[in-house]
Amino acid sequence: MKKRLASLLCAAVLAAGILSGCGSSQGETADRVTQQGEEEGTKDSVVVTMPVTAEPESGFDPAYGWGAGEHVHEPLIQSTLTVTTTDLKIDKDLATDYSVSEDGLTWTVKIRDDVTFTDGEKLTAQDVAFTYNNCKEKSSVNDFTMLEEAVAVDDTIVEFHMTRPFSIWPYTMAIVGIVPEHAYSEDYGQNPIGSGRYIMKQWDKGQQVIFEANPDYYGEEPKIKKLTVLFMEEEAALAAAQAGQVDVAHTAASYAAEVEVGGYSVLSVESVDNRGINLPATAPQEKDGITYGSECLQDVAVRRAINIGIDREEMIENVLYGYGTPAYSICDKLPWYNEESEVEYNPDQAIKLLEEAGWEEGDDGIRQKDGVRLSFTILYAPGDSVRQALAEDTALQLRELGMEVSTQGAGWDVAYDMAQSQPLMWGWGAHTPMELYNIYHSLEDSGIGMAQYSPYKNETVDSYMDQALASGSLEESYELWKQAQWDGTDGVTQEGDIPWVWLCNVNHLYYVRDGLQVAEQKIHPHGHGWSLVNNVDQWSWN
Amino acid sequence: MKRKTKSNRRTRVLLGLTLSLVFLAAVCIAGCLCTEAARTADFGRKNLSPCFPYLFGTDWMGRDMFARTLKGMSISILLGVLASVISALISLLLGIASATLGKRADQLITWVIDLIMGIPHMLLLLLVSVALGKGLKGIVIGVALTHWPSLARLIRAEVMQLRESPYIKVAQKLGKGRWYLVKTHILPHLVPQFLVGMILIFPHAILHESSITFLGFGLSSEQPAIGVILSEAMKHLVTGKWWLALFPGLMLVGTVVLFYVAGESLRKLLDPGSVHE
Repeated sequence: MKKRLASLLCAAVLAAGILSGCGSSQGETADRVTQQGEEEGTKDSVVVTMPVTAEPESGFDPAYGWGAGEHVHEPLIQSTLTVTTTDLKIDKDLATDYSVSEDGLTWTVKIRDDVTFTDGEKLTAQDVAFTYNNCKEKSSVNDFTMLEEAVAVDDTIVEFHMTRPFSIWPYTMAIVGIVPEHAYSEDYGQNPIGSGRYIMKQWDKGQQVIFEANPDYYGEEPKIKKLTVLFMEEEAALAAAQAGQVDVAHTAASYAAEVEVGGYSVLSVESVDNRGINLPATAPQEKDGITYGSECLQDVAVRRAINIGIDREEMIENVLYGYGTPAYSICDKLPWYNEESEVEYNPDQAIKLLEEAGWEEGDDGIRQKDGVRLSFTILYAPGDSVRQALAEDTALQLRELGMEVSTQGAGWDVAYDMAQSQPLMWGWGAHTPMELYNIYHSLEDSGIGMAQYSPYKNETVDSYMDQALASGSLEESYELWKQAQWDGTDGVTQEGDIPWVWLCNVNHLYYVRDGLQVAEQKIHPHGHGWSLVNNVDQWSWN
Repeated sequence: MKRKTKSNRRTRVLLGLTLSLVFLAAVCIAGCLCTEAARTADFGRKNLSPCFPYLFGTDWMGRDMFARTLKGMSISILLGVLASVISALISLLLGIASATLGKRADQLITWVIDLIMGIPHMLLLLLVSVALGKGLKGIVIGVALTHWPSLARLIRAEVMQLRESPYIKVAQKLGKGRWYLVKTHILPHLVPQFLVGMILIFPHAILHESSITFLGFGLSSEQPAIGVILSEAMKHLVTGKWWLALFPGLMLVGTVVLFYVAGESLRKLLDPGSVHE
C-alpha cells in the first residue's frame, strides 16, 4: 500500500514536471523574442499572442485559406486588389479602377504598375490572373465557383469572367492576396513572397511567426517594423502578459473581467462575431438517414416567441461579463444590415404569442399543443465554455416561457447533421454579405432542397438575394440584401419567418501593454485571431 | 495477549473493508439522488467559492460543484463496477479456457493477451472508445475490453498449477469429465483471485474513465463526469478558482484509494495464508 502511494506521488511529481516543462519552454521563446526587440533598442516592434488555431496549418498561401479562409482578414504578406474600410465599404489597394459589365459577367480591374514583389520582380496582371485561377482550382475553404477564369489582358489590366453575376466580388478581391507566378510552387505557403506591408522572416511551427516591415512597400511606410505572433492558449497568453513577455495578449471575457494585469489594460473590440441558434423551420422528415425539421419549431409562433423571449442584455452580463453587444442578425452594424431586425425583450408578448397559437401550459408547466410537448435540445460545441454557457442561459430563459429546453454537447463531426433537426449554438460573422446567402438561401440540390445549415426556404427571400448578386453596383446590392432580411411584409426577422435567432456579438478582448497605441479596428469578423493585426502597420508606441 | 492483537488485525481489516464499501455505496446513492441539481445552472450564483450551502463552491454557470462532484463520482463508480465485472468475467473465461482446452487454445489466448498488453493502454482505450462513437457505450466497452489481460494471465497460471495437484490428477484418473473438474475442483479455488482481481481492476477503470473523458474522448461534456469537471476547471484555475479542481480531484483520489483498501482487505481476509494473522 505504501509503495503504491509512493509511486502515485512520484507519478504526480513527474506529471507536474512535464507540465511545467512545457510552460517554461513557451516562456523562453517569448523571452528570447522580447530580448531581441530590446537589444535592437527600438520601440517599433510588437509581440502579439493568438490562439493556437489561428496558426495557418497549410502556410501563408491564399489558395489554402490564408486571409481568404474560414476566418477572413488582410493577408499582410501579400497585397490585395481592394480593401475593406473601417465601415466595411470597399476601397482600392492594388486596383486603381474596377468596373463590371452590364450583364455582371465580366469584371475588369486595372492595377497599379509601380508594385514589386519583395524579390524585386514586378507585380503584373499575369500574377493576379494566376492567383485567382490557382485559388479557383485549389481552394477548399473559400467559394470561387462564381469565377470562370481570370485573364490578363495586358500588364495592368485583368479580366474576371464569371459563371454567374456576383455583385459582391469586390469583397472577395479584398481577401485574396496576390502571389507571384514566377515564385510559386507547392511549398509557397512555407516561404511566402508577396508585395504587402510585411515580409515573413521566420516561422517556428507551433510557436511563433516573425514578420518584418517590407522596405519597398508601395504604400505608406509601416510604423511598426517588426511583428512577432506567438500561438498559445488563453491561459498561457494570460501568464505571458502577467510575466510582461508580450505586448498584446488575446483573452476571454472571464479572464478580462476577473484578472487585472499590472501595466496592461483591457482592449475590447466590437465584433460581428455573433452567436445564435438555428430553428429548423419545417415539418420533420427523413432523408439519407438525416432528420430534417422539428415538430415544435416549425411553428413560426414558437420561433417568434423565442426571439423576443430572450433577454440578450442579461445574457451578455451573465456569460460575457458585459463584453458583448446584442445581436439581431448575422450582420449587425455592417452596411447590408437591416435595422428592422432589432427587437425588444418582451416575455409577456412571447407568452401571448404562444397562447394564441394554441400552446397551452400543461400540469408540469410545459406547454403543449395537440399532444406535442414544446420541448427541444440546444446543441453546443464541447470545450467551448462560452457557447455552452450561452446555450445553458438560453435554455434557462426559455423555460420561463414554458418550454422544456435542455443542452447537449455535440462535436463538429456530428453537429452539422444534428443541426438539421435541432438548434445548435453557432458562431458566424464575416465581412461579406455572402454569409446571408449561405444561411438563408435555399440550395436546390443539397439535402431536402432547403438552406444548407438549417431547413428553411422562402422564395421571396431567395429572389431578393439573387437580385442582390445580379445587381449593378454595391450600393444597390446593399439595399437588396436589406430587403432580403425584411421588405415590409416578408423576410427573416421577427415579423417574418425568423428561422435563426441571434443572441449576441462577442467582443474580442486583449490585454494591451500601456503605451501601445492600437489603431482603430474595423468591426472584427468571426475568429479571434489575425483581424487584430490587419492594421498593425499603423500602431505606435507612446 | 498475542492472540488478541492478531484477532484485532483481522477485525480492523474487516472494518476497513466495510467502511470503504459503505462510503462508496453512499457516494453512489447520493450521486444518483442529485442528478437534477448537478445539471441546474443559475447565473445568479456563479463563481462562488466554497461556502454554505455550496460546500464545494459553484462554477462559471452557477452549478453546484458538490452535487456535480457526487454525481460525477457516482457515474465513475457505476461505470467502474460495470467495466470491472465484465473485465473480470472475460479474464476468468479466457484464463480457464487457456489452461484446460489444450495447447492450441492456450497458445492463441496467450498470444491475444500479449498482443493487448503490448499496446499502450491509454491508446487502445482511446481507439476502442472512438471507434464505438465515444459516449457511455464507448467508455464501458473500451474499459472492459482493455483491463482483462493481466488477470487472465494470473488465472491461467493458477489453473495450470491446480491441474498438476494430486487430487485433480486422481479425479482425472477416476474418469471425471473436464467440465466436472472445472466446476467442482478448480472454480472454488479461483474465487479469491477472481474477487480480489475484480476489485483491483476498479481503481484502474475509474482512473482510465476520467482520463479519457478529460482528454475529450469519453463521456460527452454535458455529463457531470469527473473527467469533464476537471478539464473544465483547467480554464478557470488561472483566475484563482481552485475549488473547481481541488475537491473533485481529492474525491477521485479518495475513491481510488478506498477501492484499493477494499481490495487489499478482501485479499487478506480470503487468503488462506493470512487467516491466522
